[in-house]
Amino acid sequence: MYSVKEIKKGLEEKKFSTVEIVKEYLEKIKKEDKKIKAFITLREDEAIKEAIEVDKKIASGQELRLLEGLPVGLKDNIATKGLKTTCSSKILEDFIPPYDASATIKVREKGGIVIGKLNMDEFAMGSSTENSAFFDTKNPWDLSRVPGGSSGGSAAAVSAGFAPITYGSDTGGSVRIPASFCGVVGLKPTYGLVSRYGLIALASSLDQIGPFGKSVEDCIYGLEGVQGFDKKDSTSKDVKLPDYFEEIKKGIKGLKVGVPEEFFGQGIDKEIKKKIEDNIKILEKLGAHIERFSLPITDTGLSAYYIISSAEASSNLGRYDGVRYGIRAEDYSSFEELIVKSRTEGFGEEVKRRIMLGTYALSSGYYDAYYKKAMIFRKKVEKLFDDAFDKYDVVVSPTLPILPFKLGEKINNPMEMYLSDTFTVNINLAGVPAISVPAGFSKEGLPIGMQFIGDKFSEDILFRFAYALEQELKLDLDPWKEGR
Amino acid sequence: MKVSREEVEYIAKLANLKFSSNEMDKLLKEFESILEHFENLDQEDLKGYDMYSFEEKSLRTREDKVVDFENKSELFSNVKKMRDKFIEIPKVVD
Repeated sequence: MYSVKEIKKGLEEKKFSTVEIVKEYLEKIKKEDKKIKAFITLREDEAIKEAIEVDKKIASGQELRLLEGLPVGLKDNIATKGLKTTCSSKILEDFIPPYDASATIKVREKGGIVIGKLNMDEFAMGSSTENSAFFDTKNPWDLSRVPGGSSGGSAAAVSAGFAPITYGSDTGGSVRIPASFCGVVGLKPTYGLVSRYGLIALASSLDQIGPFGKSVEDCIYGLEGVQGFDKKDSTSKDVKLPDYFEEIKKGIKGLKVGVPEEFFGQGIDKEIKKKIEDNIKILEKLGAHIERFSLPITDTGLSAYYIISSAEASSNLGRYDGVRYGIRAEDYSSFEELIVKSRTEGFGEEVKRRIMLGTYALSSGYYDAYYKKAMIFRKKVEKLFDDAFDKYDVVVSPTLPILPFKLGEKINNPMEMYLSDTFTVNINLAGVPAISVPAGFSKEGLPIGMQFIGDKFSEDILFRFAYALEQELKLDLDPWKEGR
Repeated sequence: MKVSREEVEYIAKLANLKFSSNEMDKLLKEFESILEHFENLDQEDLKGYDMYSFEEKSLRTREDKVVDFENKSELFSNVKKMRDKFIEIPKVVD
C-alpha cells in the first residue's frame, strides 16, 4: 500500500495520523487475509494504543525514531512477550513467551508497531509454508500456489500490502525463497549481524532473522530496525554499521560480478535462466564487470546443509518435552511416556523426519560418515566463498531453480522439496549475506527472484546491486492489480 | 543406503518419538531416498580442510559479576501443572 518513506513523510507532514495508518492496514488485513492467510495472530488493540501514543508524540513536536508508527509483522518464531508465539507448531500452540526477542525489542525501541505474528513452516522446517500445523498460506500472485517458506506468511504479507515491513528467519533460504516466490525483497544478513536472542532456534549456527520489504529501501529500513550487537547473543558481532542509504547512491560502476556456472546448469527452469541472464546484461550495462567462474558446491552443499541443520535441530528441539512449556499429552503413565507422547502428538511429520535424520547423523556409528564429512565440507564452502570474494564484489544466481509450485505438489516427496533450496543453503553454511530481489515474471505472471551474495558484512554492496537493478527494472509489484 | 527397521526404531528411542508401523514404513523409504542423495559427499575431495578451524580464537566473555534476575515467576507461566513453586511431573525414580 505505502512505502516506508511515504508513511514517515505522511506522518511528519500530518497528512494522516498513526492511528489512521495502523487502522488502514488492520482493515486491509481483516478484509483480504481470508484469501491469503498470512497471519496467525493479530495484535489489534495494543497496536492502536501504541499508535495513539505516537500521535501524541507527533502533536507535541517530538523527534520521530527510525520506524516510528510503522506497522510491522513478525514471523511466529520470534518471541513477543505476552503474545502467543507458536512456531506454527501444535506443540507450542498455547505458548506465550515471558520475554521479547532482542529483534522485537529493537523494533519497538525504534518506534515500530507490531501488528501481528505470521505463518510459517513448523519450526522453520520447509520451503513452502505447507508444513504449518495450522493452515496453508497462499501466494498473493496465484492463490493456488505456495508463497515459499519457511517465512511464507512474512513474504505474502508484504506482497499483499498487509505491512510495509515484516521479519522472517533464514536458515537455508527461508527468507530468500518466499521473497522470490512472492515478488518482494528479502535479505539474509551476515551471520552475527542480527541477534538470535528470542528467535526460537532451529539450527543455531545457521539461523538469522531477515527483513522483507516491497522495495530495497524498505528492506534497508527493516535491516536498520534490528541489526547490531547484542550482548545476550554470544554469536552477535560488534561491527561498524554503514549508512546504507548513502551507499546505494554510489551505483555499481566498476564493481565485479562473479557468475558461478554450476548455479546456471541443468535442472533450472528455462524462463528463470533467461531472466537472470538478461538481468546480468543489465548489470553490465550499468557498469559492472561480469566474469563467469566455477563454484562447485551446489549438490554436495545441499547434503551438507540437511545433515548439519537436521543434526542441530534434533538437539535444539530436544527441549520440547511437555515439562516446562508447550503441550502436555493427556494421559501418560510414566515420565518417559509424558515426554514421548507429548513430542509425538505435538510435532508434525516434517519436524519428526528431520529430528530422526539429525539424530541418525549424530549417532555413534554414523557421526563420521555423515556429520563429520558435512562439517568438513562446510569448511570447504567457506573457503571457496572466501576465494570468490577475493576476486568479486558479489556473486549472482537465480534464487531458486524452479517457479512457485502448486499447493500439494511437492509435499509428499521430501527430497524433491529439499532440492528447491539448492541455491540458497550454501550461503548459510558460509555465514555470508545474500539478498533476493524481484527479477521479473514468468510468462504465466509468476515472480522470479535474483540472488546477490556478498562477503561477510557487505550488505552495503548487496543493497547497491539490488537497488541498481530495481531502479532499472521498475517492476510493478502489486499482485492485486486488475487483470492479474 | 539401506537402513534397517531396527536402526530406525533405535533412533526413534534416542529422539523420544514414537511411530506407528505404517509411519515407520514411510520413514524407512524416505530415509533411503534422502541418504542416497547424501552419498554425493563421498565424491568430494576434503583433504586439507580442518573441521575445527575457526576465525575467532575464543568466545567473548563478560565480567564475572552477579546480576539479579527479576522475572523468576514469569518463567513458569507456561507450565501445565504446578504444585506450589514446583513443576509437577510423574515419578521419575521408583
